[in-house]
Amino acid sequence: MLGQTKLKQIADTVLKLSQADQTEVLLSVSEDALTRFANNHIHQNMAWDTIGISVRVIYGKKIGVASTNAFDKQSLADVVEQASILAKFQEDDPEFQSLPGPKDIPQVDEHVFKANPEEMATSAYMVIKQAQEKGLIASGAYANDVSEFAVANSLGVWAYHTGSSCNLSTIVLGKNSSGFAADVARKPSEVDAQTVGHVAVQKTWESKNPERIDPGEYEVILEPQAVSEMMAFFQWYGPNARIYHENASPLSGQMGKQVFGKNITLIDDPFHPKVFPMPFDFEGQPKRKIVFVENGILKNIAYDSYYAKKYGAPNTGHALPAPNTMGPIPLHFYIAPGDKTREEMIANVKRGLLVTRLWYVRVLNAKALNVTGMTRDGTFLIENGKIVKPVMNLRFNQSIPEALNNVIAIENKLTQLASFEGEMISLAPTLHIGKWEFSSGTLF
Amino acid sequence: MIKAAKDILSKIPSSVSYADVRIVEQESEDIATKDGVVEALESGSSTGYNVRVLQSGVWGFAASHDMSETGVDATIKKAMTIALASAKYKMEDVQLDDQKPIKDSYKTPIAEDPFTVPMEEKMKLLLAADKAQRVSSKIAVSQASYQANKEHKYFVSTLGSEIDQEIIWTGAGIETTAVDGQDLQNRSYPNSFRGQNQTRGYELVRGLDLVGHAPEIAEQAVELLSADTCPTGEFDIILDGNQLALQIHESCGHAVELDRVLGYEASYAGTSFLTPEKLYDFQYGSDIVNLTADATIPGGLGTFGYDDEGTPAQRTYLVKKGMFQDYITSRDTVRELKKANPNYKNSRSNGTVRASSWSRLPMIRMTNINLEPGGEEGTGKAWSLKELIGDTKYGIFMSTNRSWSIDDKRYNFQFGTEIAWEIKDGKLGRMLKNPTYQGITPAFWNSCDAICGRDEWIVWGTPNCGKGQPSQVMYTGHGASPTRFKKVKVGVVKW
Repeated sequence: MLGQTKLKQIADTVLKLSQADQTEVLLSVSEDALTRFANNHIHQNMAWDTIGISVRVIYGKKIGVASTNAFDKQSLADVVEQASILAKFQEDDPEFQSLPGPKDIPQVDEHVFKANPEEMATSAYMVIKQAQEKGLIASGAYANDVSEFAVANSLGVWAYHTGSSCNLSTIVLGKNSSGFAADVARKPSEVDAQTVGHVAVQKTWESKNPERIDPGEYEVILEPQAVSEMMAFFQWYGPNARIYHENASPLSGQMGKQVFGKNITLIDDPFHPKVFPMPFDFEGQPKRKIVFVENGILKNIAYDSYYAKKYGAPNTGHALPAPNTMGPIPLHFYIAPGDKTREEMIANVKRGLLVTRLWYVRVLNAKALNVTGMTRDGTFLIENGKIVKPVMNLRFNQSIPEALNNVIAIENKLTQLASFEGEMISLAPTLHIGKWEFSSGTLF
Repeated sequence: MIKAAKDILSKIPSSVSYADVRIVEQESEDIATKDGVVEALESGSSTGYNVRVLQSGVWGFAASHDMSETGVDATIKKAMTIALASAKYKMEDVQLDDQKPIKDSYKTPIAEDPFTVPMEEKMKLLLAADKAQRVSSKIAVSQASYQANKEHKYFVSTLGSEIDQEIIWTGAGIETTAVDGQDLQNRSYPNSFRGQNQTRGYELVRGLDLVGHAPEIAEQAVELLSADTCPTGEFDIILDGNQLALQIHESCGHAVELDRVLGYEASYAGTSFLTPEKLYDFQYGSDIVNLTADATIPGGLGTFGYDDEGTPAQRTYLVKKGMFQDYITSRDTVRELKKANPNYKNSRSNGTVRASSWSRLPMIRMTNINLEPGGEEGTGKAWSLKELIGDTKYGIFMSTNRSWSIDDKRYNFQFGTEIAWEIKDGKLGRMLKNPTYQGITPAFWNSCDAICGRDEWIVWGTPNCGKGQPSQVMYTGHGASPTRFKKVKVGVVKW
């Protein structure tokens, strides 16, 4: 790690080198390690150190971006020059007004924790051992990420953050079943490998000898991992200012209206005590807790500086790195918890399916936000409030807005889940959804 | 740089049973327009190296951007420490195949280096293609994109191999979005998800004629808004080459990755139904289905000289006359396969190992995975698309991927395409929107009854193939021509 002082020096050097009207610098430094296991042994074990710089220059309304992975003086001069050359070739972007100015950035805990190869291997082995004892096969990964990130611009923005994460996940395989479990934490000492192994082994054991079940419409209990996988595309296509104003989002034109059931509140909170905090966005603008949907009513959407100025809305601090062709996206998004326990929710299902995870979820139509995907790693039939047997995996075709209009109950707690590669945490409760369309089955 | 790589290799302790070093320099250039504005204009470069050691029977891998003496020492030490940590819990020693040292160079043959074409010219082309899509007030978004990548790789190993390669690939395409009320329809050319991509130079972009095709594509997007929805039922379908390419990618390419088959990807991307006992004894497809992995096809996005273990590029039959023949393999999986199925005939890797950057571990990746065209040995008649439509009493012709999903053993798949046309009595009829089809991989490929010939066979690029932890996005190719499948479940989504 280089530290704030050194990164500030690099940013200042770049800003001085640039002759552009406005200049923005993104700097990243990371030390990552990953221990991967399969067939009850470690098969891939690696570490990699990276640095990166991305420079955005603006001449009038012409914008160019260049990046490299070296911080020596010549490389810094080269990357500024390259961005400037590109900008000069550019056509005007008439909608561009300015980079954002400096704002106060909230303070967050910036302690970092590094896992050493031995403790990562030991955690992997704790999972493997439990699988071996039951005659099962464990596979998984333990990732440790330590990173620094900084944003500076010629209008005075300076924002720096450092953080770390540990993420242990496993899929345990039986003869005809599988089970998933994971844990995420800031410190290696807080990763609970014993529980990860136990939960995955238990799930594999419970899901053995699954029976075929007819596809069709079912009530579902979606466990937190499945809820997170369902909501991932909603994050991208739902409250995104670019897509919203293109009239291509299912929320387009619905501001202030009832879009989901009254029991649905959707929040983006980068300071929630259970997530890895991120105090600013990729333009160095402060983040804050934002309620996008409150009791089913659309209250806000996500903006960065470009779309905020274009549509006269407040910047909500959701910029991605430039050049961003996807629009502003919330990265700490969750469904607010309800008032039921998981057991109470299962007890309330007459005939339905309990789904551990979803897999290969893809958008069928962005405007309707209907998605397809498969169930994975433990699917169970529930009858009269009781889990009666494991069933083979099914394919679903389901509209997410429709699902969010049919939520019967929400779990009273949020589970921490790794998102991306463990560098971030998403939160999700278990959901009881009244109807979910399964269209076909598979052979396992 | 070969010398620099050899210097790093020379510092690795002699206690290792094998080691290799890769130095990689990457350059990229991206332009994306939207609604007449150049929304992204970006160039990038990245240089670094990695050290892979086989110590005490297990792998250790470390990578860094820091090529100073202290940086190299630290990276080697890290790789060794990691290997020792793994060795504590090992079950068996990693065994590599036998290879001879290779000293060679390879360079992608191109006619025009995309990085030397003036930026202004490239932007003008894309802006013109963007503008030409504005044929109706119902066009909500018009987009055009171009990308070029150059990778210079320097590989040395303790076997004595010294290989330097320069791989260049280029791509471009357009996409129109039409919206009417709650309906949204997309059309892309020549393919969705950033167009066509090949290991070719700027001549690829010039040959696509993006501007000339833009109005027709945009008109189709608008026409789709009022088109009938694709009917539901079991019908014969003809898949256009650009859709068949992704069908091959998902239901064949991933299924034959040997690391996946052996369980090494179980924790992330899943496993495969093509288990080792099925080798030489499983009817994967009908007797005209011949699938190859071929890293030697000129222009294929998965074409190179040597893989990232120093194994030469090869052409391998995966499925011959419908029968399952081989996997795509690496140096450390071949012997393991032989243990699982002693009948396995090959003793060496077929050269499919690649890493997406210097910071990533090389792993088995698709090269160009192809359905061999009709009219060749064992592939039946060389149909033309016109003849194929003429030979179809009732069916659906589907083109250009819109959505894709497949289960974690690669059995149950579902695809959607941007557009389809109904075929009635051998004639192409009404346009259909929201076409989808679903199947189970072996049953689907066994229903294949006609493949168009080499004249309509194109190696489509799939530049966004994800695999591995940490994730690696790899560029792969798929040779495909329009192909017919019998009695497929169509219209499987309620709209």
